[in-house]
Order: sequence, then C-alpha cells, then structure tokens
Amino acid sequence: MKLILNHIVKSFDKKEVLRGASFAFEKGKIYGLLGRNGSGKTTLFNCINEDLKIDNGSILLEENRVKRELCPDDIGYVLSTPVVPEFLTGREFLKFFLDINMKKIPDIKPIDEYFNFVKIGMEDRDRLLKDYSHGMKSKMQMLVSFIANPCILLLDEPLTSFDVVVADEMKRLLRQIKKDHIIIFSTHIMELALDLCDEIVILSGGVLENMEKDDLSNEAFKDKIIQALRKDEND
Amino acid sequence: MIDTFLMSFRLKNAYQTNGIIYSLKSIPVIKKLLPVSLYRSPGLKRLANFVSILWEIISTFLSKLLYLFIMIFLLKDHMKSSPANSFMHIFFFLTVAGGFLNTQIFDPTRDKYYAIFLMRMSARKYMLSNYFYFLLKIVVGFLPFTLLLGLLSGIPMVICLLMPLFVVSVKLVFTAFALHSYVRTGHAKNENKFNPVALIGIAASLVAAYLLPFLGYAINGAIFLTLFVISAVMAVFSFSYVLKFREYRSICKELLTADSFVMNRKDMAARAVQKSLQTNIEIKATSSKSGYQYFNDLFVQRHSMLLTKSAKYITLISLTVLAFSITACFLIHEAKPVINGMMLTFLPYFLFVMYFINRGKVITQAMFMNCDHSMLTYRFYRQPRAILFLFTERLKSIIWINLMPASVLAFGLPLLLWLTGGTDNVLNYVLLFVSIVAMSVFFSVHNMVLYYLLQPYNIGLEIKNGTFSILNSFTYFVCYFAIGKKVPTLIFGTLISVFCIVYIAVALILAYRLAPKTFKLR
Ligand SMILES: Nc1ncnc2c1ncn2[C@@H]1O[C@H](COP(=O)(O)OP(=O)(O)OP(=O)(O)O)[C@@H](O)[C@H]1O
Ligand SMILES: [Mg+2]
Repeated sequence: MKLILNHIVKSFDKKEVLRGASFAFEKGKIYGLLGRNGSGKTTLFNCINEDLKIDNGSILLEENRVKRELCPDDIGYVLSTPVVPEFLTGREFLKFFLDINMKKIPDIKPIDEYFNFVKIGMEDRDRLLKDYSHGMKSKMQMLVSFIANPCILLLDEPLTSFDVVVADEMKRLLRQIKKDHIIIFSTHIMELALDLCDEIVILSGGVLENMEKDDLSNEAFKDKIIQALRKDEND
Repeated sequence: MIDTFLMSFRLKNAYQTNGIIYSLKSIPVIKKLLPVSLYRSPGLKRLANFVSILWEIISTFLSKLLYLFIMIFLLKDHMKSSPANSFMHIFFFLTVAGGFLNTQIFDPTRDKYYAIFLMRMSARKYMLSNYFYFLLKIVVGFLPFTLLLGLLSGIPMVICLLMPLFVVSVKLVFTAFALHSYVRTGHAKNENKFNPVALIGIAASLVAAYLLPFLGYAINGAIFLTLFVISAVMAVFSFSYVLKFREYRSICKELLTADSFVMNRKDMAARAVQKSLQTNIEIKATSSKSGYQYFNDLFVQRHSMLLTKSAKYITLISLTVLAFSITACFLIHEAKPVINGMMLTFLPYFLFVMYFINRGKVITQAMFMNCDHSMLTYRFYRQPRAILFLFTERLKSIIWINLMPASVLAFGLPLLLWLTGGTDNVLNYVLLFVSIVAMSVFFSVHNMVLYYLLQPYNIGLEIKNGTFSILNSFTYFVCYFAIGKKVPTLIFGTLISVFCIVYIAVALILAYRLAPKTFKLR
C-alpha cells in the first residue's frame, strides 16, 4: 500500500506554500517530516486530510496496484495542539466515539482497557476533559485517532508534550503498529527523527525531498539534513 | 508619554482596520465585487484605516450629542422645574452616575491587553496617556453641544462652558477614589462586573436626576457653580494622585487576566457562555442514549445552568406576570377592557417579547465555544451525515427548551382574552396560541440555521462575519419596530403564523442542503 502525492500545489492568497510536492509514502515505514517553521508541514497534513482544498495535483492511495481516492476512514490525524470536547469526561468522549464508529472498529474492547493503553489513571477517567493537562488531552486525541485503525496516520509534532515515559511508550507503540500503517510524523526534534523514523523527508521550498542516509554516520547525516534545510534561506 | 500614546493609537487603529477588512470580506456580495488582490492592496487598507479614524471622530461627537439630546434635552420640558434648571440638574446627576459607571482605567478592554501584555508597553504611560485622551475627548466632544443645547435651554454661557470641565472633574475624582480603594483593598474592581455599591450609586443618581426636577426640586445656576467649584478643587488633588500613582501595572494584571479579560466582552451573551466554560459545566449528568444523541444529551445537561435553568426562570417570570394580570382583571374592573383590547391588537409587541426571551443565540454560542470549535477538527464529526444528524438533535432540544416559556404565553394569552370578556371571533383564541408557538419555533430555527449556515464565531466568540451581523441586526430591528404597532390579532396572527411556517420550511430545507458544506471552522 502506498500513499501517493502527485504534484500538490497549495497557496494562500498569493503565498505559495506547496509548490508541486510529490512523494510516495509506503506501508511499513515511519516517515519523519522535517521542515523549517512555516515551511508548510501542517498545511501538507491538512491537505492530505482534506481540511484544505488543494489547488492542483492529486492524492491517491495505491492498494494492490489499484489506485483510489482517499476516504475519511483511511486517515487518523493528530493535531499539534490537542482539541477535545471540554464538556465531556474522558470516559464519555470515548464511549461517544466508540458508539458512532461501532461498525468500523473490528474488536471493541472495554473502555478502561483503552485508558490503560495510554496510561490515563483511574481517577482521571471521569473528570471533565477541560481539566485535563495538555499531555493528557494529546493522549486522548491520539487514542481516538488510533482506535478506528486507519491505515494512514498523520502526526503533527505529537510527542513534544508527553513526559519521557509516555513518549518512550508511544515510540514503542508506533514501531509496533508500523508494519500495517503508513505513518508520517512531523517533528522539530532531530534526535527523535533519526531514532524513530525509517526515512527522513524534508519539506523545503514547497517540495518534498527524500534524504538518503547512504552510509553516512549519524553526525554527517545530521549535517546533511541541516544543510538541506538551510537551502530555503538562500532562495 | 506621547510616543506611547501614538503607538497605542496606531495599534488600536491597526486591528480595527483589519477587523473592518475582515468583516467586509465575509459579506458575499462585496466579496464578489472586490477582486482578491484588492484585499491586500494598500488602497483598501487606507480606506479601512480612514473609516476607523473617521469613526473615532464621529463617535466622539455623536455619542455626546445623542446623550445630551435624548437623556436631557428632550426630557427637560416635562419637568415641573424650569427647563434651564432641569437641564443643569439632570446633567449634574447623570454625570455622577457616569462616574460610577465608567472611569476608563478600570474598564478591562482588549486594547489594554494587547498593548500592555502583548506589546509590552509601559503600563503607566499607556494608561495615563489614554486616560488623558479619554478626558480630552470628553471636553472636546461635549463643548459644542453643551453650548448649543445649553443656550437653547436658557442656561448662562459661563455654565455651558464649564459643564464639560465638570464632567472631567467628576471622572477624575471617581478615578482617584477607585485607585485609592485599590491601594486599600489590594483588589481591582472590574467595572463591567456586578458591583452592588456602584449599582446603588447609579440608581440613586438616576432617581435624583429625574424624580427631583419632576417634583419641582432642581438645582439652580448658583448651586451648580458652587458644586462645580467643589468638584474642581477635589479634581485638582485627584489629578495629582492619578498622576503620581504607580501601580497601574498590577491593576492591569488583575483586570486583564485571561478570564476577566474575556469576561468583559460587551456582549452579554458571550460573557455568559465564557463564564459557563469556566465554572458552569456541571459534572452531574447521565444519559442512557447512545452516539450523537448521547453527545447532545450530555451537552444540554452539562449546560443546564445556561440553557434549561434560565428558560425555567423566564417561564416563572412569565407565570408571575400572567398571574398578576389575571388578579388585576378580578380586582380592578377598568383593567378588563384594557387587557382585552391589548389581546386583540398588541400581538406585534409579542414578536419582540419572543425575540427577547429566546435563548437560541446563547445556545449556539455555547455550542461553538464548548463543543464545535474542538469537535470540528475531527473528520468524523464533519461528515454530512453527522452534521445533519446532530443538527436535528440540537434543533429538537432548542425548540423544546424555548417552548417552555413560550407555552406559558401560548396558553396564557387566550386565557386572558377569555377572562376579560372574550371575543366574537373564536379564531382569535386559536391565532394567539398558534402565532406564539410559531414565533417561538421560528426564533429557535432562525438561530440554529444561521449558526449552521454561516458559522460566524471564532474562539474569542467575536463575530467575524458581516452577513451574520447584518442579519442579526435586521432581525432585531424588525422585532423592535414591531413594538407598539397596533394591528388586529386576526391579521397579524395570520400573517406571522404563515410567515413563520414558510420560513421554517425554507430554512430547514436550506440547512439540510447546505449545512454540510458551510458548517466548519473559520
Ligand atoms: N489559513 C491560512 N491562511 C493564510 N496563510 C496560511 C494559513 N495557514 C498557513 N498559512 C501560511 O502557510 C505557511 C505554512 O504554514 P504551516 O502551518 O503549514 O507551517 P509548519 O511547517 O507547520 O510550521 P511549524 O513548524 O511552525 O508548525 C506559513 O507561512 C503560514 O503563514
Ligand atoms: Mg505546524
């Protein structure tokens, strides 16, 4: 399975953010998307998730050599700032989510098991989401994007607000599920990208570029990435 | 200090300009007329900038003119005291009431927040320079009109000239007292929050302003001059106090913390919603339903403070008024024909009443603030089916909530009509009932459909959509103009019922067609 981006163009008013970005993301790999602030990472995710209409180009999913359009259930998207309905408790939000996605979720487990899965404590499960901490809200958001088991996971700077233990578990979790998913992961933390991701993709100048590691050492590879990111300035 | 002021003025102007451009953009017709490139052109910026400055100037004068004209000039002739004395008297006490109402410094505005906390301007310089600008505007704005209207009322020229200065003195004295009370209590009183002392002061001043001259007691020129001198002397000391005061920054800190800053929105409804977000989400709530019904059910229960409880209060009040009217019918015989006549001709008035008691707007704001602005980021929530299903659920709840007070009127009015002697035409009873119910449903539908079709809010609950503001003001004015129009119930009731039913049908069709596309985050 492949997610194929074909010459995507997106501009706001006159500002061209994406200028013909093309790439093929494959199943079984974690892609680290690096780019300067404002280079368009969030915009790219929003385009893939159809929150924004693209001006040109196409986004297709190739399965067994057959290409098709994306449908909403294909994608799980975790935003960089978590948003949850503040008037519900964690448990109620999950129940609501499970209710309406009943048919799509293959094996529904008891709600508490999901909480255990992301390590949200017993005493927090019945509190209003408005009183959750930033990291806890992130966990809830990640949880609901994982439960429905979409084949594409878009994660916009996800691990930044998790404490080290949870971040570590999330990493393990991502590695664990990667064989059945296409995971694209934007981050500003180089170490995390190098440590977790199988491929590094750079968004600069509105296009996507794969960074080959070849047989460079980690340090040399870092330099290469930074050089590539610097290019933007010279344009 | 002048630099600080100019900077703050430019800052305020800049975001007002952007606001103007933004709301222009959101009106479809204008959007089509203007090419995209024009939004960013310096020309439009300059025009909006010009409008914003023009507005500042006009509002300086216009507000003072309207105030003097409506609150004083028009009323002075209905008093027992002479027009000149009444004018001075009312002016004096209204100015005192104004002192309680607004000192500028304790008014938490967004301008202050932007300037002091975001742009890190010096709080003292910012506050003082803007305060003096505020005082200057008072003098400049009042002077032409105290002269004009004062002379027309027969007040000596000297007093006319002193009147604006008197306002400034009173402001200064009140400000100094407020600052002093801050030093004493260590607590900055937000002017826009309920404060019993101020409220009593305002009420007393208002009573003194109008009741005394009505009964023939009013101050004369000599007394006004004496009072002026006293306040001017106090103002001199106050001025130096205000100038020497050092703790403006800590006052701003307390006034402009996130929640009180948000709380000060002039818009009462927004304030209520914001408040509910802070405190009024009640944890007690259960529902046996599932899916979107469960979701909506919990939403309504968690916001009962805002939704059902206030509807219940309104119901209670309506019941009380109804009970009073019924008692009046039995006790005072002359009341009967009056009420009977009202039932048969005053139905337009109830259009305004129904507008007023409808909770639709507050409910949609709560929906956006506490629910949709986060849920709309989820893809599943934006699926057409989900949007329409939830729309239906919500509409049911809103109609139900609003029908509670409406039903009191719907049954009460025909009852009153019957008790006060009835009517020859039975249709009148039916029409009273039907049109009240129709109006109630109409406003519920109207608010919901506007919300789903225009989705005008952003996270600060500022309304950023020109079409929405226009439609809202239009609705308000139509309802407002209905007040006092006497139209036979037979005619008005039929027309309004038919209109409501047609409108509801059209609006619902539109919503079901278009909402999946239009209901989104801006
Ligand atoms: N709704 C919008 N309207 C206009 N311009 C926008 C909009 N959204 C994004 N932009 C612009 O598009 C560019 C890319 O923004 P984007 O948020 O995608 O960057 P990013 O790579 O996610 O940055 P960061 O690393 O800071 O998260 C920015 O220059 C931004 O100003
Ligand atoms: Mg981003």
